[in-house]
Amino acid sequence: MSRQTKPWIKAEQKLGFRAARLPVALGAVQVVFGIVQAGCAARLLAAVLHLARGGGTALLYGVLFAAAALARAYTQMQAERQNFELGAAARRRLRGNVLSVLLALGPAGLRGRHSADLAATAVDRVEAMDGFHARWIPATQMALIGPALVGLVALLVDWRSGLILLVAGMFVPFAMAVAGIGAGVAAKRQFVAMTRLQVRFLDRIRGISTIVLAGRAADEARALGAAAKELRERTMRVLRVAFLSSTALDLAAAAALIFIVLRFVPVMHGALGLAPVALFMVLLVPEFFAPLRGFAVVYGDRMAVEAVADEFSALPPAPEDVPPADIRAVAAHGVTLAFENVGFAWDETRAPVLRDLSFKVGRGEILLLTGASGAGKSTIMDLILGFIAPQDGRVTINGAALETLVPAARTRMLGWIGQKPVIFAGSIEENIRFARPSASEEELWDAVRHAHLEELVNTLPQGLKTPLGEGGFGLSGGQAQRVAIARAFLKDAPLLLLDEPTAHLDPAVERDVLESLKHLAAGRTVVLATHSTMAMDFAKSAGARRVDLDALRYASWRSVPV
Amino acid sequence: MNPMIRIVSLWLREAGWLLLALLLALSALVAGVALMGLSGHYLALSLLGIAAAVPALLPFTGTARVVLRYLERVMSHEAIFRALADLRVWLFRGLAASAAGGLGFRRAGDALARLVNDVDVLDGVFLRVFVPLLGGVLLLPILAWVLARESLPALLVLLPFLAVAFILPWRAARAARANAARAGLAMASLRSASLDALHGLREVKIFAAEGRMLAEVQAREADLLAAQRDLVWRGSALNAWAFILAQGGILLAIGCGFFGAPVAAIVAVLVLVTSFETVLGLPRAGLLYGQSAAAAQRVVRAAEAGPPVPDPAKPAAMPARNNIVFEHVAFRYAEDRPFVFENLSLQLPEGSRTAILGPSGAGKSTIAALLLKLIAPVRGQIRLGGVDISTLPAEALRHRIAYLGQTTHLFADTIRNNLLLGDPAADEARLWAALEAAQVADVVRALPEGLDSWLGEGGATLSGGQGRRLALARTLLMDAPILLLDEPCAGLDAATEMEFFRVLNSATEGRTVLLILHRLTGVEQLDRIWRLTGGALVAAAG
Repeated sequence: MSRQTKPWIKAEQKLGFRAARLPVALGAVQVVFGIVQAGCAARLLAAVLHLARGGGTALLYGVLFAAAALARAYTQMQAERQNFELGAAARRRLRGNVLSVLLALGPAGLRGRHSADLAATAVDRVEAMDGFHARWIPATQMALIGPALVGLVALLVDWRSGLILLVAGMFVPFAMAVAGIGAGVAAKRQFVAMTRLQVRFLDRIRGISTIVLAGRAADEARALGAAAKELRERTMRVLRVAFLSSTALDLAAAAALIFIVLRFVPVMHGALGLAPVALFMVLLVPEFFAPLRGFAVVYGDRMAVEAVADEFSALPPAPEDVPPADIRAVAAHGVTLAFENVGFAWDETRAPVLRDLSFKVGRGEILLLTGASGAGKSTIMDLILGFIAPQDGRVTINGAALETLVPAARTRMLGWIGQKPVIFAGSIEENIRFARPSASEEELWDAVRHAHLEELVNTLPQGLKTPLGEGGFGLSGGQAQRVAIARAFLKDAPLLLLDEPTAHLDPAVERDVLESLKHLAAGRTVVLATHSTMAMDFAKSAGARRVDLDALRYASWRSVPV
Repeated sequence: MNPMIRIVSLWLREAGWLLLALLLALSALVAGVALMGLSGHYLALSLLGIAAAVPALLPFTGTARVVLRYLERVMSHEAIFRALADLRVWLFRGLAASAAGGLGFRRAGDALARLVNDVDVLDGVFLRVFVPLLGGVLLLPILAWVLARESLPALLVLLPFLAVAFILPWRAARAARANAARAGLAMASLRSASLDALHGLREVKIFAAEGRMLAEVQAREADLLAAQRDLVWRGSALNAWAFILAQGGILLAIGCGFFGAPVAAIVAVLVLVTSFETVLGLPRAGLLYGQSAAAAQRVVRAAEAGPPVPDPAKPAAMPARNNIVFEHVAFRYAEDRPFVFENLSLQLPEGSRTAILGPSGAGKSTIAALLLKLIAPVRGQIRLGGVDISTLPAEALRHRIAYLGQTTHLFADTIRNNLLLGDPAADEARLWAALEAAQVADVVRALPEGLDSWLGEGGATLSGGQGRRLALARTLLMDAPILLLDEPCAGLDAATEMEFFRVLNSATEGRTVLLILHRLTGVEQLDRIWRLTGGALVAAAG
């Protein structure tokens, strides 16, 4: 568990307790109805024994008992629904926070984290927090309030029995503490054991084809069985001791019952009027211990938090919104991009990727960035995109430093195509419109035509409405890249960044895609990073200037017309 | 067969433990019922003025209840842990024997992860449905006996007990089953919307779609919450009914008292309070059962799918030689799908080094799957050393062919155990030799715990290239005469890729090598290069 985890759980707990007031109040009301019921039942039973008054009152108590039971059923139902709402609200809040932070940080802030893992935080880990808010928080409160209410009534009606109950109630945590166990150990060990087994199992299942193809399936099945056995034996050793804490609860409940019965023995024959009281006290015993049992049941929900809290607390804080110092209007068409003595390192312990880099791309020009992988091509792209900020120097657009531009205005100016475009679940149309949802039908079709997607779209039975992604039509690498090009056409940004746009394509497809890109590049300021000779030739033919990052690594800068 | 019954029948393997746990659970219940019953009986007699000694059984039943509850907890957990292990090993064996090889091959990691989740759900069924339900069933005759002894009309109170223990859970299961599909769909959409937003973070930022993506996720979340809310509402109503029935039962028992069975009434009331305590959770268990039905179905279907290519009944002897011939092979994934290739012929002489190039989707990986007997040709023959591989056992065939693919998995385990998967009998020297050949020995040596360093979560992290080379070391350890490499460098940058192939050239000398790639880096040493286009192999300049 990391250092920030505990405060994070504390903060969640505080939020949870504050939100849980209504369901806890309902829970308390429910306990009160329970006490009323026990009282009525005791009276009724006393009447049955012909010890109390006549039948008329018995009927009254019968009606009261039924009414209290109905009211209690209703309150309980409402409390259950309110508890769900607690969990739902907490999940909504957590998921909103996680996604807002991740979306605000952008790709550079999450370097090294896999998107599937982050999605697991936003989906599964948030779901795992449900039990904490919907069950554990109310149960914790009720474990105090419930016995306190029942104990108080018992004290008022028959102080000796009340004392027995309260002592038995105190004994529960006391016994746990004396045994040095703590209520959670059993649940915790069991939870940890299950998690370990599950992780190992998931890992082996994910790699099952590797195991099968290595001809080791039988061995691994045996190993899996052996691991489960070892885990069981180790866990059971702990559990055998830890279950003693649950036993403390049983012991307290049984002892309380017996002592209350015995407490009435000496007085019974002398004072028959005690009958309703004696029966009332006996019936209160289960009421007294029910909330404590309820608390023991939800301990697993508390444990589940420990398993996921690290991920939440390790999320970086949302970036602060620095109000732009100087808001500038930038011409909608034609921009000049310049790097002025830019230096950047991913972290302080590593050598800078870029040192004192300067170059300038005028409106309508193409800049070709070359260099081995790791030379800083993607870093330059991220700097222009504003995902990261330079430590030295500045990046300017039309003379204005990037960070002084209103983010929305900056985003409007930028077009980008990477190695492999992300295709979202949805139709082709939705994927292209992603660039500009408000685009007209005409603009959409223009983009489709310019990206040479028309032919493909026409062969598909549902045309532009054909669903893509999982379970839908699978686009080839070249087709996906055309969707990205269509997006760029639709966005119509004056500054176009091309980050190895043809790295994953076959030569024939690459030529085709470059042809479309040429069309897209016309009239825009373009930065093209590439390894491919074909793409370099394309840039040269378009009159590009070239920055060779390998050659420039430690030099200041030069711009070589190719 | 009902998939849930199949799952339960698996648990029956631990019948001894289960029976012991159940007996203890039942004894604890009986002790609890007896404790309440005795207390009631004694109280009632005393109150009626009938002199009765404090029953000696009272403290005894109290102690018995506490001790039995403890033993029950220990035994039921022993049984649960055994059942958990059985279920997992069974699923693993089933998957390994069935389509799993093919599943993993086709990057179906998510489907597999979902199966693991399903198994998790089924553990809950054992814990919270199976054991309490059997407890309820066994409690019924005992309760009937206790009540009948006191007074026959008191048996009437069994009606609400039956309703709470069996009818309400059944209703709950039905409601949950209908809801499970809806909630499952909502969950899947929420997952895919979140994954889209985060996977496409770059695009999202560049196209200023943060707000749109967040709204989309929140809309899916609202769907999920609505589905869950629906179930909670039904569940809470059923619980309210269960409670009302239980209280009705108690009122009924008291009513019996007015018809001349005062002692019986008190005993019945106190016994019922305890009995209902044990079955009031069953409607909720019914919900869980209903939700797990789909999980059980998926797990059973996956585990019992059967092998994709059945092994021959009478396998032929493994050939001595290792040359491979594809002869007029035709294949398609399903009757209604187009042929991947209709007439593919290929020869891989012993010791030759061949590459097959082609764009993704051309069917390169299909060739690897055919060779590994994960799928079978529709027409034509594939021969190893002159013997049709359809007559050879798959396991023996795969011992001849060491496969390294883009989905080859490194396990969250020590480096040593990862390597031993290639050859469990390999000694220290052979492990290091393989690491040297794959040129990762230096990397491993630099780790503080060397071969015993843990990989994956919480362990040493290798770079992409190092991981691939470690996988290569494992493949080399298999000592198979044929090496089949399918895009072994997918996802690596160009420099790392080139380095990998340089290592490969020297490490695989003397073996038959088939490389499946979308393009060459130029450093591979090859005898033949084929290009797969339009379902045919065309010689490429090499």
